[in-house]
Amino acid sequence: MSLLIIGFLIGCVFGAILFLGGASSYRKILGTLLLKDMTIIKLMMTAIGVGSLGVYLLDLGQLANFSIKPAYVWGIAAGGAIFGVGWAVSGYCPGTCVVGASEGKLDAVATLMGALVGGLLFAWAFPSLEGLLIQNANFGAITLGEVLGIDGIYLAIGMSAAMLYTAFFVLKDRYN
Amino acid sequence: MIDEPIISWKVAGIALGLLLTLATFLVSPLGVSTQFVVTDAIVLHELLPAVAESNTYLSQYGEKSDWGVGYGWMLVLGMLVGGFVTAKLFGHRQPKADQGSMPPLWSEQFGPSKLKRHSAAFFGGILLLFGARLAGGCTSGHMISGISQLAMGSFLFGITTFAVAILTAKFLYRTQQGSTT
Repeated sequence: MSLLIIGFLIGCVFGAILFLGGASSYRKILGTLLLKDMTIIKLMMTAIGVGSLGVYLLDLGQLANFSIKPAYVWGIAAGGAIFGVGWAVSGYCPGTCVVGASEGKLDAVATLMGALVGGLLFAWAFPSLEGLLIQNANFGAITLGEVLGIDGIYLAIGMSAAMLYTAFFVLKDRYN
Repeated sequence: MIDEPIISWKVAGIALGLLLTLATFLVSPLGVSTQFVVTDAIVLHELLPAVAESNTYLSQYGEKSDWGVGYGWMLVLGMLVGGFVTAKLFGHRQPKADQGSMPPLWSEQFGPSKLKRHSAAFFGGILLLFGARLAGGCTSGHMISGISQLAMGSFLFGITTFAVAILTAKFLYRTQQGSTT
């Protein structure tokens, strides 16, 4: 099966999960960011809990196609902060605005359009940001396992347990 | 509890974790934000090829798939189709508060102006993609996929993003009172 069809089918399931799970809901996203309705963070932690174990089990059989992003401290911190403001203001992230737009939500369409503009702006800002924020303090594609010198699978088991425990037993909705 | 999504966070979270595992086995982990740049690159290359090719960043993504679409772009197209089809099939079971283009939570706080909501959503979208590309990923690529792979940069992204988003949300809704979320 061609790579394009595989991508399309995985995307279909991804979009369906985000819609059905309420991840394309402004109310649910802001609920988590206001620390009142924990649905979305619990969904994410569960996904990471299952996913970390899943990909590191694959790795044991050398079946994982990892894609570790480089750790450049300043660019990630600055980008993450800008992203965080955009996330809270729009109530969407790049994936959920696509799903929200597919539902016909016009505010999600607006976010999607804004995101296309944001991508273009970054394309022109990139040359002037690259030296300072991306090449500086860039530690490359490193994982926690490499930093600690521990096999990834052991850390993945711990990470998985911590994420699932927090999602299932620690986080509680707080309506005041 | 009333007003809950169609499937629970447990089911959605487990399904998403399994999907990530499958994607990592078949091709590569999930990611979305790059494809906005790929779309920009393809569209600009159609309209103004010389401008697109002279931009280092756009050509870096454009040339990878000969200014066409690849696996990642098809994945995002799939999200559009998957979201559309499930919304058509199960939309009637979506909580009322999650339907439509004007979130009740927003209009209670900022009024009923559509222009205001859509401007905020558009402006937020600009920041989302600018930030995601500067950081090298978004909620799916950095947080879900990246933290699952135990990538150091992704931990930093997750912590920074959540901290700033929570502060921003608390600031936007600082005068909020009452029992609704």
